[in-house]
Amino acid sequence: MAQAGQDAKFFTRGKIEEFRADLHAADAKDKKFVKRKTVLKKIVANITMGNDMSPLFTDVVQSLGTPLLEIKKMVYLFLVSYGRSAKPEQINMVIPFFLQDVNDRNPLIRALAIRTMSYIPIPVVTDALTESLRHCLRDRDPYVRKTAAICVAKLYAADPRRAEKGGFVEMLRDLMLDANATVVANAVAALSEIGDRPDGVIFKLNLTAANKLLSALDESSEWGQIYIMDSLLRFVPERHSDAEIMAERIVVQLQHANSAVVLTTIKILLYLMNYMENRRLIEYLCKKMGPPLVALLSSGPEVQYVALRNILLIIQRRPAVLKNDVKVFFCKYNDPIYVKLAKLEIMYRLARAENCREVLAELQEYASEVDVDFVRKAVRSIGRLAIKVEPGADGCIQTLLELIEAGLAYVVQEAVIVIKDIFRRYPGKYEGIIPKLCEHLDSLDEPESKAAIVWIIGQFADRIDNADDLLEVLVDTFLEESVEVQLALLTATVKLFIYKSKSEKAKELVHKILKWATEEVDNPDLRDRGFMYWRMLAINPTLAGEIVLAEKPPITTDSDRMDRGALDQLLLHTGTLGSIYHKNPETFIRNAAGRALTDSPALNPNSRAVLVHLPRPQIPGPPGLAPTDSLIPGEDAAPAPPLPPRRNPAPQDSHTDDDDVGDDSDNDAETAQNRNDDPYSNLDSAFSTYLADEPKPMGAGAHRGRNDDDLLF
Amino acid sequence: MGIDGLIILDNAGRSIIQSGFRSTTPAYPLLQIDAVNTALAAASRPTDVDPVIQVQHPSNSDIPSACCHVACGDLRILCPISGNVDPLVGFAFLQTFVDILQEYFGGVSLAIVKDNFDVVYQLLEETLDSVGHPLTTSHNALRDIVLPPSLFSKLLNAATANLAAIGGGTPIQGPPAGPFSSQIPWRKAGVKYASNEMYIDVNENLQAIVNKQGVPLTSSAYGKIEVACRLSGTPDCTLNFTNPQVMTDCSFHPCVRLQRWSRDKHMSFIPPDGHFVLAEYRYTPNTNSNSAITRFANPSSTAPSPKEVVPIPFAIKAKFEVEETTGTNGATGRAASFPGTLSATVMLMLTTRPIENVFVELNLGESAHAIKCVASRESGGLGRGLSALESGHAGSASASWSFDSRKKVLRWEIPNVPPSTHWSLQGSFAASTTPPRPSHALQVRFEIQSHTFSALKVDQLKITGEGYKPYKGVRGRSTGNVEWRW
Repeated sequence: MAQAGQDAKFFTRGKIEEFRADLHAADAKDKKFVKRKTVLKKIVANITMGNDMSPLFTDVVQSLGTPLLEIKKMVYLFLVSYGRSAKPEQINMVIPFFLQDVNDRNPLIRALAIRTMSYIPIPVVTDALTESLRHCLRDRDPYVRKTAAICVAKLYAADPRRAEKGGFVEMLRDLMLDANATVVANAVAALSEIGDRPDGVIFKLNLTAANKLLSALDESSEWGQIYIMDSLLRFVPERHSDAEIMAERIVVQLQHANSAVVLTTIKILLYLMNYMENRRLIEYLCKKMGPPLVALLSSGPEVQYVALRNILLIIQRRPAVLKNDVKVFFCKYNDPIYVKLAKLEIMYRLARAENCREVLAELQEYASEVDVDFVRKAVRSIGRLAIKVEPGADGCIQTLLELIEAGLAYVVQEAVIVIKDIFRRYPGKYEGIIPKLCEHLDSLDEPESKAAIVWIIGQFADRIDNADDLLEVLVDTFLEESVEVQLALLTATVKLFIYKSKSEKAKELVHKILKWATEEVDNPDLRDRGFMYWRMLAINPTLAGEIVLAEKPPITTDSDRMDRGALDQLLLHTGTLGSIYHKNPETFIRNAAGRALTDSPALNPNSRAVLVHLPRPQIPGPPGLAPTDSLIPGEDAAPAPPLPPRRNPAPQDSHTDDDDVGDDSDNDAETAQNRNDDPYSNLDSAFSTYLADEPKPMGAGAHRGRNDDDLLF
Repeated sequence: MGIDGLIILDNAGRSIIQSGFRSTTPAYPLLQIDAVNTALAAASRPTDVDPVIQVQHPSNSDIPSACCHVACGDLRILCPISGNVDPLVGFAFLQTFVDILQEYFGGVSLAIVKDNFDVVYQLLEETLDSVGHPLTTSHNALRDIVLPPSLFSKLLNAATANLAAIGGGTPIQGPPAGPFSSQIPWRKAGVKYASNEMYIDVNENLQAIVNKQGVPLTSSAYGKIEVACRLSGTPDCTLNFTNPQVMTDCSFHPCVRLQRWSRDKHMSFIPPDGHFVLAEYRYTPNTNSNSAITRFANPSSTAPSPKEVVPIPFAIKAKFEVEETTGTNGATGRAASFPGTLSATVMLMLTTRPIENVFVELNLGESAHAIKCVASRESGGLGRGLSALESGHAGSASASWSFDSRKKVLRWEIPNVPPSTHWSLQGSFAASTTPPRPSHALQVRFEIQSHTFSALKVDQLKITGEGYKPYKGVRGRSTGNVEWRW
């Protein structure tokens, strides 16, 4: 081997001709093939850099005859790169070498040969591979067997029918009983890969096979363990006890040092829980899953991020898992922003009456940080906390007021937006703070916050003495405002007029704005709404008042929660891309195999009730149709909505209290809910199954109120 | 499982080495590299880039994929994944691969990778199969298949890079055993050493957040038992502790027999050869069964739940004031400067041992400048900072400070804090255009030698199955990372 340091110069661009000459020169008197090795090394270096070395094919392949592993390896590296595009006569030249190496004494060379062959999906090579592979699958050396197992999957990819006819799938099944754990794991990996293909042989496990695999678990490498455990999703327990015993066997894997193994174990446990009956075992497993998840948070930020996104999903389905651990999710100043945002969301989910004060103090701390984005989300979380945890609402309002006092523009904007929602959640409780909000009217320059304050002024025009003055100022710039603010202004002015129909100013304002909305504005939504108000007011002002000021449905944090069936399905993807994006893989990866719980006698009734059947119909669903719209605490979704119910689905319109902090976490809930029209129907079922299924949280009895049906009370 | 491959980028974002990407189009790795570079360029701080970047094929939406990436010294290693793969597998694989490089070359850097590209390339080939199945990643097994660089270059690297990874003893080559001839996947057969040794390091890391009142909000210690094993043959080790109950939430190297641990809290294992992490655990003190808790004076008696909190071995008082003197001046008045003062005191609560290498960092926020500080020990030992960046490292025993004007971080360094001493930092600074918005948290890092928070004590290390008497050593070390808010 050449000295270190010199190797770097191989990175200089080499010339094909020079290499060729060198290779030929190496034929003569080359003791221990040193020269040949050096040339090949240069060639491989050039391949690595992306320089085309294929013209050297014939010359390089000649070196395969050299009985030296190191040289063979480099030639095979070369073949792997250029074999696919080689000319037929060139490939024909290589085949004898392949067949010779497959029978070499050295198992490393045997394995190398079949592995390289499997990388070249050309009929001639596949022919040769088919013959040799059969022997290699029964080779006495485990290294060759495990390599051969993976090669079967590649053969299947190249030519499925030949692989099936050749009985290779059956041979793989036999390998699942191999004495060597690595071989077992690779056989499982190959079968899974074949099974995931749309045209592949379905790979299912029965109880005996699953148990056999489990016994190989302890001796496998971490990757092997991941393959084996992942394959357990293909086992459908027929009896409660099957699921329970299996869970008890794999629960020790939670103590594995490899984070991917831990997360896979959790995925399988969550899956098996659907088939369990023993409430105490489920509780025990939930308790066991918490600490390893927390331990993942002491790893690097990348692993933390993946862990946090998964935790977010898990705690929605099994809130017992990390019920008392909210503190470990407190953000550190130096955490990367993506970790902070993920932690923030989890903190909100874990917040309950018991820990509300700690969480609030922490959120208040974040609101004083420098990063604007993070601060805004922290402020928004305070508002959501107020809506979610009633006993904590006073404290939240107090904190928000303090933040408004401090007067940072973006904090004030964010605070106003959430306070609007708080007003709707607790009618008649906090309106006293409106004057304080109005003091900061000038600093509100973003559409969302401006629309929020306009809504507040309009809604409570009867309690704000100078509401007409305030609105007059705001209406001045009506034509320059964004649609969101224009809509809010229109409605607010109409409300003002209904409250104070005697006031000349109100009359003048409403006239002005209706005229603008119907004559000067291009947006059809705005124009329609203008016409509607105008006619209502013209025909019967009293009735119009009843409609516009109708009682609004109380808002809850329901829309924060995912549909149970969708959640069950997503949890089967724990630790996968799907769980990071919170979407089912079929929706963003074409050809991805969908996963859904499979019905069996052991499936517990609650999971069956929300069972999602595959293939799940893809309802694209225009966002405007999402029933969560009617949960939006924005405008009057009351019995007779005076507004066009399908509003412009522009992003700034969907000002639910959770949209931004939750990233895309709610999109899935929306598509899932699209299946039925009544937005509340599945909330009820989700709630009732929760009560029946879960270990009841402390004091749950007192908290079953209509407004309090969040999963964590 | 689709780990598509591995790409190693240099610090300019160019690919140095990448795996074959045989099951994808040639454009694929380029797209991945491009996506990462774009994301890095767009982020204000490189650490703020999402670790999993969604990559969209420009013309073919059938190829959705994501790219996991980690920075590693002056390199950045990417691991593109496609299909519905566990990103953790990607990250776990990246970590494993970095560990392998570390074991092979004693360090990971641009120069090392370039010097040994052929070995790295072979390693890639052996560890990752073309459709993304991780193959052989156990270092002990890999050594049989891919020859490490020669002893000479290894020593060269060892001299320049990390010494710990390679260590002193090199195994004497035993009879050439075939690859995978060992029944134990993590240990190769026929290892022989002239002198048999086994060193156990118990390292604990304290992660804590302390609130404005000096009360720890969260505080827990994560422990790691690292072993350097140079034993011949196939030894069977049993490690037991006098107080195993301080270890909670343990996770183990695959070699540890989990059944045995759950039965009688003995770690029983056949060790891999060389350096490895035997176990990791979390330490959360219990009120009843702990001696460590009495060794620290709890900074505040009003700690909410002392049961769950590891005491912090020091306390900090910090004060920070900003006055607006020059003020707004007339209609065009841009406030010219905002001078501020700061003071902080560190006192050690630990009475038995000194804390070493204490770093206190404070981000002063944009536009902070004109920093002047005095770092001192309450009784003698004066350290004085002179100018930005070049002031630190005055004497070995005295404190110093420096200011990183690029990151706007004020750093205060105290090499050694003997028991029961007080150290302070007094200073002033100014900020232009906007009122200074320093972070509300001091980041404190420290080390304590021969100490563990949990006071975990090894009772006995028994080695059976081989005839020799090995040399055994146990050592403890604590580090900490505390966020102290003020």
